[in-house]
Amino acid sequence: MASSHSNTHTEAAKLEQIITEFFYKSLLIILESRSPYVSSRNYSGEQIMSSPSSSSSSSSGVRPRDKWFNLALRECPSALENFDLCRQSNFEPVVIDVILEQKQLDWDPVTFSPKSDLVKHSSSKDKNSFFWNSDQEESGCEAKGEKVIERWFVQHESRKGRDCSSGSRRSSSNNLSALYKKLILLLRSLYVTVRLLPAYKIFRDLNSSGQIRAFKLVPRVSSSVESFTQKEEAEMQRFWFTPVDTSCGRLCLSVLYRSSISDISSESSTPMSPQFIPDYVGSPLTDPLRRFPSLPVSQGSPSSLPFSRRHSWSFDRYKASPPSVSFSPSPTHSESHALVSNPSSRRAPPMSLPPHPPGASLPHKKNTNFDEYWPSPNFSASPSPSPSPSPSPSPPIRIPGGHLSKALLRSESAPVNIPVRKLAGSPALSCKQNLPPSPPLKISRADISWTDNNMGPMKSGATIEKLFSFGKGDGQKYSGVNSPRTSFFRSSSRSIQDDFDDSEVPCPFDVEYDDMDPGSRPESYDRRGNPSDPNEAGLFMNRKSQDAAVGALVQMLKKAPPLRQDIPSSINFSEASRPEMWNNNIQEQNQNTEAVTVEHDASSIITSSRLVASMTTADALEELRSYKEMKNLLLSEGDM
Amino acid sequence: MNCEVCQLKELEVEHFEIREVLRCILHTIVFHRALGLVRPKDVDLELFEITYVQCGDVELEKKIDEKIDHFISWVEKHPNKKSQICLSFYEVKSKQPSWFTNKTERLYWEQWYINLNVTQHPKHHSSKSHHTKLVVDPGESATEERSSRRAMVEASLREVLFQIIKFVNEKKDHVPPISEGVIYFPYEITIPSSSDSAFGMDMIKRMLHSGHPTMLS
Repeated sequence: MASSHSNTHTEAAKLEQIITEFFYKSLLIILESRSPYVSSRNYSGEQIMSSPSSSSSSSSGVRPRDKWFNLALRECPSALENFDLCRQSNFEPVVIDVILEQKQLDWDPVTFSPKSDLVKHSSSKDKNSFFWNSDQEESGCEAKGEKVIERWFVQHESRKGRDCSSGSRRSSSNNLSALYKKLILLLRSLYVTVRLLPAYKIFRDLNSSGQIRAFKLVPRVSSSVESFTQKEEAEMQRFWFTPVDTSCGRLCLSVLYRSSISDISSESSTPMSPQFIPDYVGSPLTDPLRRFPSLPVSQGSPSSLPFSRRHSWSFDRYKASPPSVSFSPSPTHSESHALVSNPSSRRAPPMSLPPHPPGASLPHKKNTNFDEYWPSPNFSASPSPSPSPSPSPSPPIRIPGGHLSKALLRSESAPVNIPVRKLAGSPALSCKQNLPPSPPLKISRADISWTDNNMGPMKSGATIEKLFSFGKGDGQKYSGVNSPRTSFFRSSSRSIQDDFDDSEVPCPFDVEYDDMDPGSRPESYDRRGNPSDPNEAGLFMNRKSQDAAVGALVQMLKKAPPLRQDIPSSINFSEASRPEMWNNNIQEQNQNTEAVTVEHDASSIITSSRLVASMTTADALEELRSYKEMKNLLLSEGDM
Repeated sequence: MNCEVCQLKELEVEHFEIREVLRCILHTIVFHRALGLVRPKDVDLELFEITYVQCGDVELEKKIDEKIDHFISWVEKHPNKKSQICLSFYEVKSKQPSWFTNKTERLYWEQWYINLNVTQHPKHHSSKSHHTKLVVDPGESATEERSSRRAMVEASLREVLFQIIKFVNEKKDHVPPISEGVIYFPYEITIPSSSDSAFGMDMIKRMLHSGHPTMLS
C-alpha cells in the first residue's frame, strides 16, 4: 500500500513535472522563434557542430533541461523568466501574443522582449491568473501601432471532478511513457509549425536583415487577454494541435494567426533601399564644366560637335607646349591659358581644369571673351549652360608640339579663334586683327551664356562645321581680309582631318600648330610626324613678342647641329623660322605672300639640303648666304 | 499495430525544384519521427519562402541526399511521368526463420507517399496544366507566370507540410515506443525503379513483409 501510494505519488509528481516541462518547452519554442536576437536560429552554427546524438555522452552541449522531450534548444531568457513565474501556478493557461509593433522614436530596446513585471490579478473567471506585463509602458497601448498577429494558447484542461492525484493510480509508467512520447510528437509538430506560420518570415527578416525596420515583434506572455473582436477573429485563422490526454485532463495547444502579415509588415517597414542620386554636388549634371577623365565626351554635346568634341580630351598634344601661352589677355583666362600651355595642367583631369582659358599674358584683350569660353562638350551641348564655375569650358586645349595651328583651331567654338589670335599674337597682334565678329565666335566677356551668342549645341556644331567648310573652300578668298582666321580655319580643316586620322587626338580642342601657315602646310605635314624638336613648338608657344621669337630663333641656330649634317640644321632653321613666319602672316596680311615665300624658300632649302649627300665649300657658302638673307629678313620684319 | 499510410498531396514541380522539395518533405517527416535527442537545425529553402527543420543528423542527411540523387536520375530517364517516393518506417522484429522469409522482419508501421509530378523543362512541350507551361522567350508575362507558378508551388508545398503536421498530430498511437539511444526510427526510402512493374513488386514485397494490407488513408 505504501509502495503503491508512493508510486502514485511518484507518478503524479512525474506527471506534474511532465506537464510543467511541456509548458516550458512550448513557451520556449514559441518565444525563441518570435523574439529576434535571442533565437536559437542565431546559433545555427553551433547546432551544426554539436549534435546531441554525438554529444549525448559528453552532454557538454546539452543541458539537463534540453533533454526534456528530446529537444535541445537554446535557452531563451524571456521564456525562462516567464516560466519561472508560471511555475507557481497550477497549469494556468498561457497566452502568448505575438505583436507587430510600430517602432517609435523613443523605442526602448527593453520592451523588445517580454520582460516581466508580474501583475497578479484575478480574472472574471474562476481561475487564478497571472498577468505578465512584458512592458509596463506598453500596457494599454494596444491602439498605438500594435497588431496582434499571433495568439498562442497553451493550457491544460483538467477533467472536472477529478484531480490528478487520484487519477495517478491509473498512470502507469507505460502511460507516462506514452504520454511523454505523444508530447514529444506534439512539440515536434509545434516546432515545425511555428516556422511555417507567416509571422516567422517577419522574425527571420528581423533577425537576418540589415535593414532598418519600422516595426518589431514583441511576444507578450499573459494568462488572460482580451478576446479578439469578431472582425479581428474573422481575419485570423486557427490551427489546433491535437490535444494530448493526460491522466487528469488534456494538454491543448492552438494558435490564432493572421495569414496576411506581409501586407502589414511591408507597409510598416521602411527599408533603406539604395537610391541613385543623379544630381549630387560635383556631378556632371550640376557641374558641366567638371569633366571626368573616363568620359570621352560629356553629355550631349559631342553629337553635335563631332569635330570639336573629338579633340577635347587629347592631352598628349600639349606635351611640348610652353607653360604660358598667351591666348587671352584677360586675367580671367589665365588659368585656362596656363592650361593650354602647360602640358601637365592640360593633362590634369577635366575636373582640375581651370575655368579659364590659359594665357593671360597677351596684351590684346578684345577677343578675350572667346578665351573664356573654351568649348566644352557641355557648353555646346546645352543651350544655356552658364558654365557655372567659369565661363571657360573644361576640356583642355591641347597644343601639341608643332601643331599650334591645329590646336588653336581645334577649339571649335569661339575659343578656337582665341589661340590663333593669341598666337599670332604676340603683342603686335592687336585686337584689331582679331577675327571678324562671327556670331558663333563672338562672345562677349559678360556674356557667359552661350545662348546669347547662339552657341547652342547644334548651332555651335553647325557653326564649327561651317567654319571648317568655310575654311576649306573660302579660306583663300578671305585670306586677304580675314586671313588670320580663315587661314587657320582652312588649315584647321585639313588639320582636323589629320587629327581624325590621328588616333592620338580625340580632343576636339586639340590645337594643331602644324598647319598654322597654309603655305607651309605641306612641309608641316611632312614634319609633323617628326617629333625631333618638340622644343620648337614650345618655343613657338612661348614667344610673346617678335623679339622673343627672334631671340629664340637665334638660340636655335646656335644650337643647331653642324653643317656636316646639314639636313637637321637646315630643318631646324626652317622650322625655327616658321613661327616667325606664321606670326608675320598673322600680323600682316600683306606679308602673307612674303611669309609664304620665305616659307617656300625655307622648304626649298630643306629639300635641297636633304638631297645633298656631301657638302662642298661652294655649297656651304651658298647656304650660309641664304641663312644670312633669312636672318636679315627676319630682323627687318621684326623691326617693323 | 497498424501501418498508417499517408498519401501526401501531389506536387507539380520542375526538375530544378525536385531536390529542395524532396529535402523539405523528407526531413520534415523524419524530424517528426526522430524521437531521440535531437538539436533541430533550421534550413531555409532557396527557392521558396519556407523554413523546414532537420534533426541535425549528418548521416541521415547524407542518406536522404543520396536517395534524392537516385530519384533525380530516374526522373531524367523517365521524363514527364508521375512519380512517387515512399518513406517507410519499420520495426525490425526477429522472426522464426522459414523457407521464404528471413530471420528478421521489417514491420512497417507507417508509410508516407510523396507524389510528384515533375514537369518538363520549359523548352520541352508539357502536356500538364497551364501552370507548367513556361514561355521560353523572356518577357514580363513569362516572368509573371513563372513567379505565380512559383508561388503556387510554394503554397502547395506548405499545404503538404501542414498535411504532415496534421497527420502526425492525429495519429500517434501507432508510433512504436522510443528506444534508448535511437535517434530516429528505422526508415526506408523507396523511389521508383526502372520500371513501374518493379515498383509495384516492391510494394507487394512490402506488403508480404509487413503482413498487413495497405490501408489507404
